Amino acid sequence: MSTSSFTLRYFNTAGLAETIRLLLTAANVDWTEEHPEWPAEKSNQPFGRLPVLIQKSDDGDADFVISESVTIERYLARTYGFLPADPRKAALQEQIRDRLTDIILAFYMQRVASDDKKNELVTKFEDLLKKQVEVSSQALRENGNNGHFFGGELTYVDIATYAFFKYLVVSVKDMQESVSELAKASLTPELHKLISVIEADPLLAAQVDKTEKLVSVLSA
Amino acid sequence: MTSYIFRYFNVAGFGETSRLLLAASKADWSDEKPEWPQEKPNQPFGRLPVLVEQSADGSPDFVLSESATIERYIARTYGFLPMDPGEAAQQEQLRDRLNDVVIAFFTPNLVDASAREAKNAEFVGLLDRLFSVHSELLRKNGNNGHLFGTELSYADIATYAFLRMFLVNPMESLKQSPQLVKSKLTPELVKLAVTAEADPLLEAYVSKRGKVADVVQV
Repeated sequence: MSTSSFTLRYFNTAGLAETIRLLLTAANVDWTEEHPEWPAEKSNQPFGRLPVLIQKSDDGDADFVISESVTIERYLARTYGFLPADPRKAALQEQIRDRLTDIILAFYMQRVASDDKKNELVTKFEDLLKKQVEVSSQALRENGNNGHFFGGELTYVDIATYAFFKYLVVSVKDMQESVSELAKASLTPELHKLISVIEADPLLAAQVDKTEKLVSVLSA
Repeated sequence: MTSYIFRYFNVAGFGETSRLLLAASKADWSDEKPEWPQEKPNQPFGRLPVLVEQSADGSPDFVLSESATIERYIARTYGFLPMDPGEAAQQEQLRDRLNDVVIAFFTPNLVDASAREAKNAEFVGLLDRLFSVHSELLRKNGNNGHLFGTELSYADIATYAFLRMFLVNPMESLKQSPQLVKSKLTPELVKLAVTAEADPLLEAYVSKRGKVADVVQV
């Protein structure tokens, strides 16, 4: 049986790749990172963008190369059991993750918006975030407030939600402090619980320990 | 018998791929255009599209949000996406790229006039690259009108939906883009569109709602 090893090609920052890093870690596979010269290496990527995931197998097959952060995430989650095989159950997790992508997009849109559009786009972002917090907290409560969305084990949507809030609170702070503060203030007890449960999970320790824990950032 | 309601606005937008997939599935389905924004609070996440799956045995409806998740769910259920995660990922990444190009199209409208030209150039660059990558895949697959294999797949449908959005009864807000997209079509992409439209699975849908083949030189 062949074993795989992975190379994640991305910038040297959490950015949009943190969920990928956490999934690779949780999967307990051999993996490394590559930080290409940018934009020098742009034309060498399949779609001219990052992240890119390269899967090598030790039995001589050609590398398997995948682009698009959320596609990469789902591929890893499916392959290593963090997304269920049942299409409905998987879809319920995927829709939550797709929402998070929409909110990040809304965040970028309000950043680049012209003055006359800014208010509308800021409101749109804030409304999306508020609704997400509401719906997520309800789902976490309904699952027994054990820090997981479904059952008692780590799933894709747990990881993606954690990475999303870490991005908004920590990565975004230098870009737009007001958004970082808003994200911090919007966290409910259920989401705080998710964050602490994820950061305590031994499956994720190797990645979580690389930077300051979100739990400590939040209690500062 | 399972049946579906697809709840969305009366535009192609982010709903066309789902509609095409529902048509190709041969399942019982209908469009529902809710009063907006009155119906906003009645949606699971306050947004559209929403897919409602109703089963004939009286069990509760299964409701899904998010266009990409809806598409993948239908595609998986009806065999338009392979079960193998690697093969599925190869199709899904194309869909994500198509979506990025649509978003890049709408971005210039949101930014300062001074940044608009650069954002427009970004859209054109992404479009060029998209069409180039797609055409290369179509050629590599034997230029049979399919991106993978020999049958209508999720990737084919998503690509075809993208072309429909710009070429078949395009929205006012797309402005000059239909001309631009038309001018950049390659023979391989035209073949993809023609092949999809000739597929028995989509014939009924396109005969009612218009064809790319009527708009471009075939």
